[in-house]
Amino acid sequence: MPHPMSARFGRLLIAVAGLALAGPTVAEDSPAVGLPLEEQIQVCAACHGADGNSPQPGTPSLAGQPALTITNQMIYFRERLRQNDLMTPMARGLSDAEIQALAAWYADQPLETPDEEPDAELMGKGQELANQHRCASCHRADFSGHEQMPRLAHQREDYLEQAMLAYREHTRGGPDTTMIEVMREISDDEIQALAHYLAHWEE
Amino acid sequence: MLTLPSSRPTLSHLALAISAAGLLTLPLLATSASAEEQQPAWAQGRSAELAESPLAPHATPLTVTAPDDIPIDDLRMPDGFNAEIWAHGMSGARMMALGDEGTVFVGTRGIGRVYAVTDNGDERQHVIVAEGLTQPNGVAFKDGSLYVAAINRILRYDDIETALANGEVPEPEELTEAFGLPDDQHHGWKFLAFGPDDRLYIPVGAPCNGCEVDPDTHASIHSFAADGSDMRVEAHGVRNSVGFDFHPETGELWFTDNNQDWVGEHGPNDELNRLSESGANFGFPYCHGLGVIDPALGDASSCDGVDLPAATFDPHSAPLGMRFYTGEMFPEEYRNAIFIARRGSWNRSLSAGYDVQVAKIAENGERAGLSPFMVGFLDASENTFSGRPVDVLQMPDGALLVSDEQNGAIYRISYTTPDYVE
Repeated sequence: MPHPMSARFGRLLIAVAGLALAGPTVAEDSPAVGLPLEEQIQVCAACHGADGNSPQPGTPSLAGQPALTITNQMIYFRERLRQNDLMTPMARGLSDAEIQALAAWYADQPLETPDEEPDAELMGKGQELANQHRCASCHRADFSGHEQMPRLAHQREDYLEQAMLAYREHTRGGPDTTMIEVMREISDDEIQALAHYLAHWEE
Repeated sequence: MLTLPSSRPTLSHLALAISAAGLLTLPLLATSASAEEQQPAWAQGRSAELAESPLAPHATPLTVTAPDDIPIDDLRMPDGFNAEIWAHGMSGARMMALGDEGTVFVGTRGIGRVYAVTDNGDERQHVIVAEGLTQPNGVAFKDGSLYVAAINRILRYDDIETALANGEVPEPEELTEAFGLPDDQHHGWKFLAFGPDDRLYIPVGAPCNGCEVDPDTHASIHSFAADGSDMRVEAHGVRNSVGFDFHPETGELWFTDNNQDWVGEHGPNDELNRLSESGANFGFPYCHGLGVIDPALGDASSCDGVDLPAATFDPHSAPLGMRFYTGEMFPEEYRNAIFIARRGSWNRSLSAGYDVQVAKIAENGERAGLSPFMVGFLDASENTFSGRPVDVLQMPDGALLVSDEQNGAIYRISYTTPDYVE
């Protein structure tokens, strides 16, 4: 099938369907669409750090994430299946292949370990909670993640906390409801301990 | 002992023998209520002994497979049949419906899209009709309109093929309130098909792996007038049907049903059922497969009055979309047989399914015998798979389309009489 032509046709219909289904939102392409990979990475770097280690509170590090984790979340943003006012405009119009190339690059970047000393009490409580909730059964024993399940070890603590709260409060949507079930009825203190433990995880 | 036709007679007989002897002592429901609540939906019913089990649903790719990487060469069929890639690039392609002008509409789950595939005679093109929906699995076509069923919405796109020909998509009519269906995520993705009575048939799965349900709202197949009025419950005790069709001569509803996870790797069997009478009961959650009494919720009388399957499949093999074959292209033996796509298992160590089966109906019209029709996606020696068939669709020329959710592709199976046949 003649690819460029069908892509243009598809784009037109997406815009029309978007109008019909989602109100006045007109789909505009991400500034990263069509750029070479190294320039796309610079677009992401503004928030996620030049090497995928995020310097920005509330913004996740992408370095060392499984490629499928990044791919799936980017597609959820692109398809407006995960509501996020910052990321959906960044993902609109990116092709599957562009997203997969970005994901593969970030998966290969080393994730830095946090500088500060962990709090022993929070670490103990967090470990107990991680066992109790069987986090390792999906996220792996070293919390390095696997396929669509993200790496948790050494992720930014503030981001982990924010993500778990959003799952509990049902404000983080998306087709995969697994974490909403897991986070049901968990307390703020427990989330804080889990986030601290995972951010500072040591073998 | 009953002897029913089955693709795996030894397994189904084993399940019968076990249940008849009352020896079905499987670890079940040993977890505490709170731990149960905090598990992912797919892990409901997993016993404490199996807490470290590596079994979990296989993630469905949200991306497309490049045409050169689509595993078409893996496929094997009986002599004379040939499979080709008919369309590709529709990530997550699942249920299919045929428009009057030949458009094939395709539903999805995770990617949230509905596609329209058109054929100009030489090649196929596709466009995205809808996006951002919550698992719009069900598609049906009637009187120029496309009906779409997402988990939480029913939409109707009028005169859609006319609009598509002009490069447009019509604004959908929102029928969600008129149908008033539950919007549970768990088993909430819906199949759609119009019956010979012009009513729209919609299953509502159990909102759980195994649990007691309100028999009038869940684990049932409903029918409606096309505008969502006049609801009837056609079948009860159906855990999660994601495919059905109507017998070309009797008009009877035949449907697939996916049975419970975590009860056992080798049971209960998945089902092909025949609805002989509106309102019949198919057993869930008390009686599974060929009369397996639920170890937690059932008792000795649980299978009394239950309609048993017309045929059974390997446990957990996930028979989904199915269609009766009425075309002229395939040999006579396939007339009024049912082609059934099996998406393939996750809740057993040795995988099963990932193929298309054919069910040939017995002379009494009540039972069916299964045999493999399109195989090769499952590599049994490596316990790996390369594709996941979800639906089948007969085309006007008698060819059979098969959708592959894993690769975002649709295959066309055609038949040419082999040279050696006179």
